[in-house]
Amino acid sequence: MKQFEFNRRMLLKSATAMAAVGAAGSFGLSGAQAAGPLKLWTIGIAKVGAKDWSAMSAQAGIEIHYNAKSARADEAIQKMVVGDGSKLYDAMSDNGGGMEDALASQGAVVELDTSKIPNWKNILPIYNPGGAAADTIRHKGKIVAVPYISNADSLAYNYDKIGAELTSWEALFDSQFKGRAAMQNDFGPTLTNTAIYLKQSGKQDIDNPSDMNPGEVKGVCQFLIAQKKKGQFRTFWDGFGNGLNLLASEEVLVSSCWEPIQIVAAKKSKMDIRYGTMKEGHQTWNNCFMLTKGGLARGQADAFYKLMNVYLSTWFGARTLATFGFGPQMQGVNEYVAANPKDFDASLIAARLAGKADRYKVKGNSWQNVFPTHIRDYQDWWARVQAA
Amino acid sequence: MGKALFLAPIVFMTLFFALPLALTVVWSVFERTMFWMEPGFTLFAYENFFFSARLENFLSSMWHSSISVVVAFIFGFPVAVFVRRRIPQVAQHRVILLFILPFMVSEIIRIFALRPVLQRTGLVNNVLLELGVITEPITVILYTPLGVIIGEVLSFLPFIVFAGFLAMEAVPKYIFEICDDLGAPRHRVFIDVILPLAAPGIFAGAVFIFVNGLGVALLPNILGGPGAVNAGLIATQAIAALDFPLAMAVSAIMMTTLLGLLYIGHRLFDLTRILSPIN
Repeated sequence: MKQFEFNRRMLLKSATAMAAVGAAGSFGLSGAQAAGPLKLWTIGIAKVGAKDWSAMSAQAGIEIHYNAKSARADEAIQKMVVGDGSKLYDAMSDNGGGMEDALASQGAVVELDTSKIPNWKNILPIYNPGGAAADTIRHKGKIVAVPYISNADSLAYNYDKIGAELTSWEALFDSQFKGRAAMQNDFGPTLTNTAIYLKQSGKQDIDNPSDMNPGEVKGVCQFLIAQKKKGQFRTFWDGFGNGLNLLASEEVLVSSCWEPIQIVAAKKSKMDIRYGTMKEGHQTWNNCFMLTKGGLARGQADAFYKLMNVYLSTWFGARTLATFGFGPQMQGVNEYVAANPKDFDASLIAARLAGKADRYKVKGNSWQNVFPTHIRDYQDWWARVQAA
Repeated sequence: MGKALFLAPIVFMTLFFALPLALTVVWSVFERTMFWMEPGFTLFAYENFFFSARLENFLSSMWHSSISVVVAFIFGFPVAVFVRRRIPQVAQHRVILLFILPFMVSEIIRIFALRPVLQRTGLVNNVLLELGVITEPITVILYTPLGVIIGEVLSFLPFIVFAGFLAMEAVPKYIFEICDDLGAPRHRVFIDVILPLAAPGIFAGAVFIFVNGLGVALLPNILGGPGAVNAGLIATQAIAALDFPLAMAVSAIMMTTLLGLLYIGHRLFDLTRILSPIN
């Protein structure tokens, strides 16, 4: 895998793909029935349609045994590389553009046969060979992961209280929001977003905000330390519930966070909490499913492919967009929504897709990097930010 | 049979304490690899701890935990004394049980429940605003070191109440009667009689609170300010970054701190006296 920036080319391809016409067909999948349910190790928001996994199970025509997983990269490495995860789970999800390489290089996950996923033909063109996100699902040129959600993380802000659209990360560091701003308590997204801001606003020379050298990390952290000492941040949030509470309780007015946090905070507080498009850029990412070595050995490949066919269906894409605000990974969602007006708020879906297209267009976007080259410098300097 | 009785605790302590601790120390000097660690000898993890901001974070969390211990003592120990001296013997254990009941609720829930109480639009601010005591919400009680201390005191107060009560059980009631008969002022009774006799229990309760304050990562995570950490969170973050030797080094340092405290406490107060009621 090589680090890359989300550029205009990717943005255009992505926007085009989202707007493109194409409905996902339903295909009968052949293959031997695997013994027992598919043991899935994934995050709770990987399901749609019901509070439990029943709707996903019904769509795929398989039995699913769900095992809760956090979004932490170390957890996947510990279980799948160091521990006995391959014995426990048939399939798992994690970030693309890093984790698929790490897991495939250690033999924890296996190469996939996409011909067994009929909806693969609808996948966003950015994942095709040569596409801007092609590397994020491949290891040494072979497909090892199926993307199911993606996003460009941005700034959530309380429009009711602020009364203006925010279009720059500058707001996070603006003295008018002193003590009412929050960032994530994780050096990855927080340093990347700050680096994007500093680079694009001309405040610091940074080559690649996703993979900074030690000097660049130092500069970004010194900036954050100065902001922290000024009292700019109310706190650094950790976990969905914390991020949500900060916004919904008006504890903070601006927060760099995941889109589902903004969506739920707006619903919970009944306030106009918006998710902006930052002119400097965003940290972009996707999340993918992988078939474990153990899952293949246990004959669960067919069940896995059936489920992946659901993840690449517009049925899933429209619902994950409507429920969580995550970007669908297939074409034809608008058409699916139009064909099912009772199930969706078409204007909301269109607005969310447009918002994503706007965010993906920004030149300064940078792909999430789970394992930056100088990770020790990231760690050490983040400790200094915390101590400041 | 007699020897076997002594062997059982030794085997238990070896298996569940000494061996894990030894492994923690051994792993802390291993070489870090991309995803795990490999045998070797390097003090890099310790250097990474002692010559970085992590030491500062560790020391500040020790300071906050120490304040929590003092505050918990001020509020908790008088309760233990009161129960022991004023509540009829038959009801004492039931009353103490009331103070231990919060332990039946998950620590996560207890800590999370503090947020809607302390936050800008929370119970405390709403009541004070309603009463006209304040005109602006108080923001210093959440997402600050004070927020962490409040969380530690409220979460771990029962430790000092329970340990204090245990210690007070070792003090015969007639001692208080003698003090009363001699007309000793209350503060002299407290300083000259109660404190020395209850010292082992107070110390044990204090260690419980101190160690939990250092180790429970949820507290700074949920109630602390930007980047607030304690030793537990430093170790957690090291694991998240796949720096296992560093996480082991932090754990070893925490254990050494705890053992050091216990040693000092034992030398000063003879901690076996906590068990004297059982004896």
